[in-house]
Amino acid sequence: MSFLRDALDLQVQVDAVGLGAIYALMAVGIGLVFGVMRLVNFAYGQLIMAGAFALAFASDRDWPVAVGIALCFGVVLALSLAMERVVFRPLRTQSAAVMLIATFAVAFLLQSIALLWFGPLGKTATSLVQLNRPVEIGSVEIRKITIVAIVTAVVCLLLLVALLNRTALGLHMRAAAIDSQTARLLGVRANLVSTASVLIAGALAAVVAVMLTVQFPTVTPTFALQDTILVLAGVVVGGMTRLLSATLGGFLIGYVSGILGGALPSEQSQYLPSLVFGLVILVLLVRPDGLFTRGRGLVERV
Amino acid sequence: MSTLEVRDLEVAYGGVPAVRGISFSVTPGEIVGLIGPNGAGKSTTLHAIMGVVPARGGEITLGGRSLRGRSPEAVARSGIALVPEGRRLFAELTVDENLRLGLAARASSEGVEADLAEVCELFPVCAEFRDRHAGALSGGQQQQLAIARALVAKPSVLMLDEPSLGLAPTVVDLVFSTLRTVAERGIGVLLVEQRAQRTVALATRTHVLANGELRLTLTPDDAADTDRMVAAYLS
Amino acid sequence: MRAAAVQLGAPVVLVGAAGALGAFVSATNEIYFVTALIQVSTVVAIYVFVGNSGVLSFGHISFFAVGVWAAGVLSVPEQEKPATMPYLFDFLSSTTVGNVPSLAIAAVVGGAFALVVGLPLMRLSGLAAGIATFAVLGITNNILRYYEKIGPGLNTFSSVPETTGLLQATVGAVLVIVAAFAYQRSRLGRQLRAAREDPAAARAVGVSIYRQRLASFALSGFLAGFAGGLYIHFIPINVDAVYLDLTFITLAMLVIGGTTSLWGAVVGALFVSALDSVLAEMEDGMTILGHTIDLPVGSRIVVVSAVMALVVIVRPSGLTGGREFSLPRLRTAGAR
Repeated sequence: MSFLRDALDLQVQVDAVGLGAIYALMAVGIGLVFGVMRLVNFAYGQLIMAGAFALAFASDRDWPVAVGIALCFGVVLALSLAMERVVFRPLRTQSAAVMLIATFAVAFLLQSIALLWFGPLGKTATSLVQLNRPVEIGSVEIRKITIVAIVTAVVCLLLLVALLNRTALGLHMRAAAIDSQTARLLGVRANLVSTASVLIAGALAAVVAVMLTVQFPTVTPTFALQDTILVLAGVVVGGMTRLLSATLGGFLIGYVSGILGGALPSEQSQYLPSLVFGLVILVLLVRPDGLFTRGRGLVERV
Repeated sequence: MSTLEVRDLEVAYGGVPAVRGISFSVTPGEIVGLIGPNGAGKSTTLHAIMGVVPARGGEITLGGRSLRGRSPEAVARSGIALVPEGRRLFAELTVDENLRLGLAARASSEGVEADLAEVCELFPVCAEFRDRHAGALSGGQQQQLAIARALVAKPSVLMLDEPSLGLAPTVVDLVFSTLRTVAERGIGVLLVEQRAQRTVALATRTHVLANGELRLTLTPDDAADTDRMVAAYLS
Repeated sequence: MRAAAVQLGAPVVLVGAAGALGAFVSATNEIYFVTALIQVSTVVAIYVFVGNSGVLSFGHISFFAVGVWAAGVLSVPEQEKPATMPYLFDFLSSTTVGNVPSLAIAAVVGGAFALVVGLPLMRLSGLAAGIATFAVLGITNNILRYYEKIGPGLNTFSSVPETTGLLQATVGAVLVIVAAFAYQRSRLGRQLRAAREDPAAARAVGVSIYRQRLASFALSGFLAGFAGGLYIHFIPINVDAVYLDLTFITLAMLVIGGTTSLWGAVVGALFVSALDSVLAEMEDGMTILGHTIDLPVGSRIVVVSAVMALVVIVRPSGLTGGREFSLPRLRTAGAR
């Protein structure tokens, strides 16, 4: 009973929505690249980590916040472009499994470079720490960052929806996601669409890096690794083939994580990863297109 | 508006030759037909022109400039539009969105709205069902949309891969008469078809393909004379 | 017949040579050789499934880990168990077995676990299989980490008798290689390979892809469990040593060597292991020809992951091209 009471506590609810918002943005980043390029970027978490290190770098030198954020975006976007050019494009014709291994290798490469460069203890990014302070609204203490996260997520999602539905580029991206062969026959530039999706995903990763460092100012080489794995699980469960279902899946897993984290005593939450992974396997077996879609079959079965 | 020239085209899948050195041309205003049995290499020819499959030998030029080795989107942007077999519309996008996708291959962004309006006059389905999902249209309507989509790119050459497939005879009439109008507007039309007789009647000239080779060329005067055509298939 | 002997002989000879070479180096360097040989066992175990079926699996280290747990828990002398594993099930805390039985049990437990996991999962291919097997890895790690009734949980597995030296590691590797070779030459293995090349044709002649994959998966788990048993008898480990990093490095070894051949698995394991060891020495400060190379700690995994990424992009078939070892053909006079 106390679990239910804790779970429904407004404080816990708000924090959970905040986490869900951040995970939703990550889910969009992963889902967008998957939709357009049929590629699961295992190294997405490392992009966030790189952005977080950029923030820590700037914070170490007492640079103004705006500069730090600009550096974060710069690093993440540059890294995203490099990944697209060096890894994704040459492998475009290969199977999904090969691409999975390649991004797995890139993920380890980036993580090991970070380990080499910054050591296992990492650095701290403290410039935006005041956002972690709470604001009292009614009876609840809500951290400013939670509000920022929710608002930012909503704004980003609205912007993305506008891009996809109202611009030519967005139309090309949607078409490429549905049937890239035919889209190319009509003149849609495959490379441009890929680069655009990678850059947008990168921008979202940078945004997430900024928001996560506020709550977790210590940046280590495994920064956002657990979150990425969870979001990947959420995207698979929600449905990889549609951006909307992927985003919903990401939000939901963030929200549920937040609730369980806030309401479950720590001994009982030990086996949570197993539950989440178990759910992923179940969905892959029973409803491979995800819980929230009625999409095309993406999963080959024997 | 430029002429499409194909000379000694050779295409192979793995080691297996599918097209063994065929030559033909399509000048603006003509309709050129390509008929033959299944597996003769008709679709392969279109795909090779479009850059979807690589050509092993020969030349493909549009207005004198070579198209060989270019990516499909580059070929589209050079002025060749393909209406693929089965139409391949985007069912979940609206009719209007499908149409606007065709704009991707346009050389210039001027006069878009005017051209869209013009195409909608030719194909009323575009205006009537503007905001409906393309998947909700009937076969004939989808075929119209597919041709419209190809035309908004203002191509020099329009290629169609078996547009009459799965369509009722009256609808086929409509499609074929539309092609005549398209050609009259100065676009070259390359029509791959199974319906031999009607194609021969419509086209300026029709090439008969069998086993990757161009066996025969027919004109509309031959339309009634099917025996010769059958003989060509069997030889 | 001769070709088969060569195909089996080459990896066995290579492994034997590695083992022999290890006998002549210092004790500290011998560790690298033993590690390399155990990695050969592990990578060949993974190859048995991934190479023959063409299906990606991120989960094989779970079977390895289960083998580690089974062999480890049952080998620790009874009086030492409460030190690191105070909450064990009674039948586990009161049973202690010797070296070889522990290895056998590790193999059986690995195989059984793989069979259970494979029953639902072997219907999946491609991306879904990759994700699902990754989830299995996550679940296994989670359970082994917190379920203290079956092992040390977060504690380090210590007090396991260190019976895996150069000899046991070499013999173990040879056994795994022979088993893998026997499998791939058998009717089962050939049917699976046929299904990998052309699923439709295989099905047309009555091959049940699901059953063949399941058999391969179970054998693979059996061998991986065995390798895990070898490993725990070599050094003390903790639960995170058999998780993502090990998954990455063993997959890297397979990919770099060549995913689709036994020779590739063996070459990949030895090559990457050698590279890793040399880099490890350089991290400690190594002197070659008068020059001292002192790499910062952590460079090894940078190099290995860079090599892996490079191989996947540039030469996806790996160092061996995914082919078995064959002797260069002698040109005979008059032959075409």
